[in-house]
Amino acid sequence: MRWFRFAILIILAAVLQAGFLARWNIRPDLLLILLVFFAVHSGTTEAIITSFVIGFAADLIGSSMGPQIISFGLFGTLLAYLHRLIAIRKMPYQTAAIFTVGLFAELLAYLLSRLISQPHIQNAYALIFATSLYSAVVGPFLFLPFAWWMHIKTQRFGKH
Amino acid sequence: MARKRIKVSRRMLFTWFMLAGFILLFAPQKLTNKFQFAFARIFRWPLSIGRNLSILAHTQQPNDNIFRRRESQYQNYIATLEEQLRQKHQMLEEVTGLRQRFPLEGAKLVPADVTTAFLDSSRSELIINRGKNDGLAEGWFVLGDNGVIGTISRVDSRNAQVRLITDPSSGIEVKIDQLNLRRIMQGAGSNYARITNISTEHKVKTGSRVFALKKPGLLDTPIVTATITQCKPDDQNPLVWDITVEPVCNLETISNVAVIIMNPQK
Repeated sequence: MRWFRFAILIILAAVLQAGFLARWNIRPDLLLILLVFFAVHSGTTEAIITSFVIGFAADLIGSSMGPQIISFGLFGTLLAYLHRLIAIRKMPYQTAAIFTVGLFAELLAYLLSRLISQPHIQNAYALIFATSLYSAVVGPFLFLPFAWWMHIKTQRFGKH
Repeated sequence: MARKRIKVSRRMLFTWFMLAGFILLFAPQKLTNKFQFAFARIFRWPLSIGRNLSILAHTQQPNDNIFRRRESQYQNYIATLEEQLRQKHQMLEEVTGLRQRFPLEGAKLVPADVTTAFLDSSRSELIINRGKNDGLAEGWFVLGDNGVIGTISRVDSRNAQVRLITDPSSGIEVKIDQLNLRRIMQGAGSNYARITNISTEHKVKTGSRVFALKKPGLLDTPIVTATITQCKPDDQNPLVWDITVEPVCNLETISNVAVIIMNPQK
């Protein structure tokens, strides 16, 4: 794993998410897409570390610290273990993985933030669904530039 | 010399990270906010570039927008002055003979730039480049285009977070123009707020101004904050209005604000 490149990618995604994409009400979650990307394209130990780091980045641009680090860490780790059993290499599988992880991770993060007396959000579940769906549609197309940047060989780039 | 590699099992790694997550979750927000403020401070340049690009992409006629904004600023100022005048008349009638200060007399306005904005249906917050070092404290009102746009919710030494009136956790006491009723205006996200519990017996007009009410030590005069955009009977209780309001200032394009310090220490 190229950790320096990983750090740059995470910072760039967090800045884009909080800056350029912040204006859109429903937007793809770049950090969620990165979470699935690293869970699928790196070893299990690395996937655990990247999941928690991405969760920490999501918390930095979120409303409170803690909920995303737990939810992203948990579901990123679960996905990494699942990937050992079922290879998530094809685009439809990646879409399904992003959508499912997005739904569960965002839902858990929302419930955890409610636990620490964060306000109730109107249409929170609809928003979580829309964000997960948007990320699932956009995500697999972003895997190619991510793989290029991280120097990871995917099926489209070469042999395994 | 070869370094000894420390091996940590995956289970241990996961447990430690989870523990760190829970510590962050339950740690006092005053402490954990420092991470968020530090991020906003370090990356204020790329964050503001991204935000400006986003605003530019949505702004087609800059001159038209400038004129509209100026007009809105003057209208907000006039509305606040009218309300202050009305209050003064009331006071004069009620307590003639007692000396009263002019509204905002002695108050200090601290100008600040918006470094980051989080505006969606889940949160409406701004990060500004003024903090404790500039005399800011939690709870103080923030003005944008001469209207109240929110209050300070968190303060760091050099930055502060503004909870906008549209944030779901925001609730400020307001009155509707001409109606002598105090109600709570609750943020609804996505550039809207709501006022409920006003009986349908009262006439509420679309376009009426909403004023943030006085708060001892924080605001000593009502200041315009929002405009009514929709007024319909509540779905669950048709005897009361469900009033939707929009801030008097365009929160998406706002780049500078002013914090009201009512009794500044000299």
